Amino acid sequence: MQHDTILGPVAARAEALNDGYRNHAAIAVLRRALSDPAVGRIALVSSFGAESVVLLHMISVLDRSTPVLFIDTQMLFAETLAYQAEVAAQLGLSDVRTIRARPEALAAHDPDRLLHKADTDACCALRKTEPLERALEPFDAWITGRKRFQGQTRSHLDFFENEGDKRLKVNPLAHWRPDDVQDYMINNRLPRHPLVAKGYPSIGCAPCTSRVKDGEDPRAGRWRGQDKEECGIHFVDGKLVRGPVADDRPQEHKEPPMNVIVTDTGFAADDRGEEFQPPEETGAAALDLGSDADVSALIGRLEGVEAIRIAFPAFSDGRGFTMARRLRMMGFTGRLRAAGHVIADQYAMARRAGFDEVEITPELARRQPWEQWQARADWRAHDYQSRLRGAG
Amino acid sequence: MYDYSEFDDAYVRGRVEQFRAQVERRLDGSLTEEEFRPLRLMNGLYLQLHAYMLRVAIPYGTLNSGQMRQLAHIADRWDKGYGHFTTRQNIQYNWPKLRDVPDILEALADVGMHAIQTSGNTVRNVTADHFAGASADEVADPRPYAELLRQWSTDHPEFQFLPRKFKIGVTGAPNDRAVIRSHDIGLEVRRDGAGALGFRVFVGGGLGRTPMVAQELAAFIPERDLLPYVEAILSVYNLLGRRDNKYKARIKIAVHEHGIDTIRALVNEAFAERRALFSGADQALLTDIRAQFKRPDLSPRDIAPFVAARDADPVFRAWADTNLAAHADAGHAIVTISLKPQGATPGDATAAQMRVMADLAERYGHDELRISHEQNVILSHVHRADLPAVHAALKQAGLATANVGLVSDIIACPGMDYCSLATARSIPIAQEIATRFEELKLEHEVGPLKIKISGCINACGHHHVGHIGILGLDRAGVENYQVTLGGDGSETTVIGQRAGPGFSADEIVPAVERLVLAYLDLREDAGETFLQVFRRLGAQPFKDALYPEQAQRRRDAA
Amino acid sequence: MTKAFTPKVVTANALVEGDVIYLTADDRWTRALHEAELIEDEAHAQVRLLDAERQTGEVVGAYLADVRPGPNGPEPVHFREAFRARGPSNYPHGKQTELVDV
Repeated sequence: MQHDTILGPVAARAEALNDGYRNHAAIAVLRRALSDPAVGRIALVSSFGAESVVLLHMISVLDRSTPVLFIDTQMLFAETLAYQAEVAAQLGLSDVRTIRARPEALAAHDPDRLLHKADTDACCALRKTEPLERALEPFDAWITGRKRFQGQTRSHLDFFENEGDKRLKVNPLAHWRPDDVQDYMINNRLPRHPLVAKGYPSIGCAPCTSRVKDGEDPRAGRWRGQDKEECGIHFVDGKLVRGPVADDRPQEHKEPPMNVIVTDTGFAADDRGEEFQPPEETGAAALDLGSDADVSALIGRLEGVEAIRIAFPAFSDGRGFTMARRLRMMGFTGRLRAAGHVIADQYAMARRAGFDEVEITPELARRQPWEQWQARADWRAHDYQSRLRGAG
Repeated sequence: MYDYSEFDDAYVRGRVEQFRAQVERRLDGSLTEEEFRPLRLMNGLYLQLHAYMLRVAIPYGTLNSGQMRQLAHIADRWDKGYGHFTTRQNIQYNWPKLRDVPDILEALADVGMHAIQTSGNTVRNVTADHFAGASADEVADPRPYAELLRQWSTDHPEFQFLPRKFKIGVTGAPNDRAVIRSHDIGLEVRRDGAGALGFRVFVGGGLGRTPMVAQELAAFIPERDLLPYVEAILSVYNLLGRRDNKYKARIKIAVHEHGIDTIRALVNEAFAERRALFSGADQALLTDIRAQFKRPDLSPRDIAPFVAARDADPVFRAWADTNLAAHADAGHAIVTISLKPQGATPGDATAAQMRVMADLAERYGHDELRISHEQNVILSHVHRADLPAVHAALKQAGLATANVGLVSDIIACPGMDYCSLATARSIPIAQEIATRFEELKLEHEVGPLKIKISGCINACGHHHVGHIGILGLDRAGVENYQVTLGGDGSETTVIGQRAGPGFSADEIVPAVERLVLAYLDLREDAGETFLQVFRRLGAQPFKDALYPEQAQRRRDAA
Repeated sequence: MTKAFTPKVVTANALVEGDVIYLTADDRWTRALHEAELIEDEAHAQVRLLDAERQTGEVVGAYLADVRPGPNGPEPVHFREAFRARGPSNYPHGKQTELVDV
């Protein structure tokens, strides 16, 4: 696809526009972007996240028929979907287009919705980058809400960027500070994303977003514990970048990239890594089970299985304990791992139910260090069950 | 009575230390409130409207005088000098401070008690017939089974994070005083044709938003299968119960959605798997436990002092007629101490009253006390010769109200005076109804009548199974009370029918009065109870009494 | 477009004592409703609620409660808030005694 012929080279246009607008207010940048013939066909790409409402509101004031591309990764929080509908209705946006991955692509690459666990970058590419690329085909430019204060990788952000000589990227809020966003939302009485009040200042897909503590970078909750700051849809120096962005921070400030494995003897690195396969995979040595998996389906299929990992989507969801007990009753003697939101106070339960170990995020490992797990590593003591069953 | 083994003692003390550490970890930020909440709930600690509330388990409602005195001590030292006995055979303290709770739990451990699993989505305190081991109509004492279930459910690794709370009730008598058909699992001890002990098992009962009467899951399971069978039910529920909507998460909804036959098939399949897990150690333990529940030695004595007092003192006679129940031994009686003096808060006892009851149990009652789900205290084995002395001591402590089973013996949840879930108050309504019938001097004339009041749809006040049930709601910012009629919590459990539009707080007491007066007009003789009249005539004459204008319009139109 | 905003206070329970508490204009927590900050702007209410929710080491379950302005400060609108501000009706416990004692 050739984008240069009609409007002139993208690089030259970006430079000229930056010179003219560097100090203009965001709304002026946006007004120009929507009206300047040099920009061409333009769309706003919005996640309907914590701060998205600012640009959506500006669009609704300037031209509510501007196309808004909403990427539904189908892994979003229910609150985000509800908020999307509420905001679109309240602001009267007339051309919101929901963008999703092709069903056949999902079926081929992520049938059990667990790809994010194995490879977050691949998941972002599948559910976000590729659908967006397709959706942006007809446009010459797109508007984003990126800001300089958001992380190291965005500190040189300009209002107008050349995206791979292909398309113009407009960042009207590039120079905004966090307070500007808050002030704008308050002054214009804009509805807030319901998860902000619950401790999520930056909101993406449910599996890869966690809460942020006071004093942490607001985006610290995104891809927490992973060596990743941007999802695949952004570009660096005009080059398409998929996957982790180079991190030039000193090493001691880096999060440990891997989840932590808890056993009776302490914290350890994951020695199985990415080997866990969906249960449909025949012949796999390590299986990944969702919290709603039917354990009975594995009857007669445990031969050669060395390890099974059971997901705990929330610590309050205790299905995994019964699943583990059933696997043990079915004769499974391999390694059994509880993975996800399991807290230190549940360690004895997990061990007694038949698990060998627990896999937790670095965030949880930091908040609940080994001593707190060790306090429940005496799981054989005071156990009514072994007393009643005659096993202890 | 069951005395803690060394194992129980070590376990409970370990739990106290765990909770002490959890409180510290909440305060230092290791645990978020979201994570701490279920942990404190597993130890019976709620955050209510005005303060924390600690719910202490009284397993199957049985305690000794030392335990009762410790409850009094806790009330004095860490609370405001009183406790509230609940419809789940627990005691609640309404004003503890978070930092004091580990000390309170330690004080409980000192007398073999705890607050474990009195809340949270787990197997709750197992309840039983409050006349267990004493009543004349019993097949076997249900409490050894309840104690076995307590030990089995305590800290069960699979069932601490169920879809929703889970309640088990056990009765050993065909006359159900434990409302077992409104429990998630109801167990009735019975004998098979060969005389062997076992259980009839009910599943899927519950009150609350969607009241349901439990259905029979098994007509008879042998005694030795109790734990694997109950474990099978729980394992099916843990995987099948809904986790997307807390109002549809109880096992009653799973039974309703899948049908009792499907549930039975799944339970039987799981039972086949689980049976082998129990090698017989549980049965040996049961034998030990049963020995501890042996009925005390009830030596025969002359009952002349009882007969004499009964003839001489009309106050004693009135009390004896209402508050005593038949004991298996004719020389003894079961004494119900009413915690419902007219105008007081149903179920509340001061620390001083608790000590009086403890002293009486020790001196006259073989050291045994019971808490009933009707929020009264019971002395289970009192010789009739001692009843005049017991009555005199109770009278002095303000505990001799002669109203058990009558209009003013009202069950009421704490309601919006304390509970953060409540939509209206219950306590003042109970107080006003009781006071009104005291003024009318009609209680004894009216006879057996169960009024039950809940301050919200969760039905802790069991309004669905009250002969007259009252449900407090919030209607556009105003307290409003709905009346249900004809409910029954016995072995013939029936959910009451809603009578019609609700009443304001000012209107509800006169409305109940109209209902009761209508009953007096409608009954054939003094022997026909409110519930019998309701069953004979249906709801209409009672609705006419509740809504006289509508009745008048209907008559005019006819 | 949206219904009119009614005045609010930020209220919660104290983590350690469990008491009902209210956020004041000068960022303290008070046990007395009449000392609470009366919030008449919706956006400001949202910000104050966020301020309260961030204090996870001190308070539990912060929310916005409807109030009406009175001569001595905010007054409850709903009867639930009236009980929270005063104490239970069956005993003179809770704030009704504590506030008299002061």
